[in-house]
Amino acid sequence: MQRGKKKNLLTPTTFSLLHAVDFADRLTYQILPPLKAGMIVLADRYVYTAFARDVARGVHPDWVRAVYSPALRPDLTLYFRVPIDISLERLLSGRAKLKYHEAGMDVGLSADPVESFRMFQSHVLEIYDQLTTEFGMRPIDAAAEIPDQQKVVRTMVQEILRDYDLERANGKNGATSQPR
Amino acid sequence: MAPHRSHAKAWYGHGLPYVAKKRLPGHLIAIEGTDGVGRSAQIELLRPWLELEGYAVSNTGWTRSPLLSETINEAKAGHQLTVTTFSLLYAADFADRLEHEILPALQAGFIVIADRYMYTAFARNTVMGADPDWTREVFGMALVPDLVLYLDIDVESLIPRVIMGKGMDYWESGMHLALGTDLFDSFERYQSRLIDEYRRLSSEFGFISVDARLPIEELQGELRKHIAEYLSGANGKPRPESGENGVSRKE
Repeated sequence: MQRGKKKNLLTPTTFSLLHAVDFADRLTYQILPPLKAGMIVLADRYVYTAFARDVARGVHPDWVRAVYSPALRPDLTLYFRVPIDISLERLLSGRAKLKYHEAGMDVGLSADPVESFRMFQSHVLEIYDQLTTEFGMRPIDAAAEIPDQQKVVRTMVQEILRDYDLERANGKNGATSQPR
Repeated sequence: MAPHRSHAKAWYGHGLPYVAKKRLPGHLIAIEGTDGVGRSAQIELLRPWLELEGYAVSNTGWTRSPLLSETINEAKAGHQLTVTTFSLLYAADFADRLEHEILPALQAGFIVIADRYMYTAFARNTVMGADPDWTREVFGMALVPDLVLYLDIDVESLIPRVIMGKGMDYWESGMHLALGTDLFDSFERYQSRLIDEYRRLSSEFGFISVDARLPIEELQGELRKHIAEYLSGANGKPRPESGENGVSRKE
């Protein structure tokens, strides 16, 4: 995938399919085995990222859902919602410039990366908002202070884990797997 | 086949919504058939014939995209693929060729000869145990070919050809499916299943089936006859000369 991204050769469809390959691989090797063992899997991004990002690039919403249909529906999906300006600020303070694809430069909305990012990611956010309703994702205000966000997150996670059998997960503290 | 076939192209499913609808005056001809059935040799003979008939011809083949052919070979060497990742890599390779080779050539009025098309994925994925509906949805971005020629063979006739050709290889023998420890037995079982699946697809999608056991020149003559018939229907032009002995036109 890095090979394709470097050459900026990807079309919206090949971009989507290559991410799906990566996802399916993680599903098989990193997500399903720990789940079957009764463990908790924390996934940093899931299929919804593809549903938002790839549709913003132009693929058909039903097509990308079909491509990802081998995926399991998560027990809980947390959506960290942040306004464009804040995400832009956070990204630019961490490194010198925006990545080509994250700024949606391949979509050709603007020659200026910052402007392109703003336009492309605004579209992505709109789609995320629709997905939140469609899939019952739980929105978290990601502009809030981190300890405050964490409190909300823990409450939601605890609620889901109310009946979780720690014994079965083999160990007093349970076990956690983090596929990236 | 209907002589006055409509020449409008159709997507198999949702297509590529971001690709502007352009006129595609070219012709998309898919050649399907299992491993070692002789597709490439036949395509090599079709090309010069069509060029002599005045057509511009472009070839495209399975896993030959510049984007993915290396990746697929590396992944195969590592044997880490599941049926899902396998299918998606093939789909990505296909999409890359569709957008960068097939559509531009059709737009420019070429005859595109595809050495294998989405039906190969349908057949293989089903044999490997993937959900057939899922495979078909993934390939919803494909363009439906104007003509699908299916080189049909039975496994008994296929075996000596493959052995006398490049030999039985790991993947074409379906060793990844662990059907047996013996390469020969595995090949026989895997290829029989594939052929059954191709034949089922052939009736479902209306392939034109030709007998691949025929001597190479006769088979070429059959293919030319069907292509000529299709082209005369599509162009409303008199059909190109298919030639009694196809191969003799090569030089």
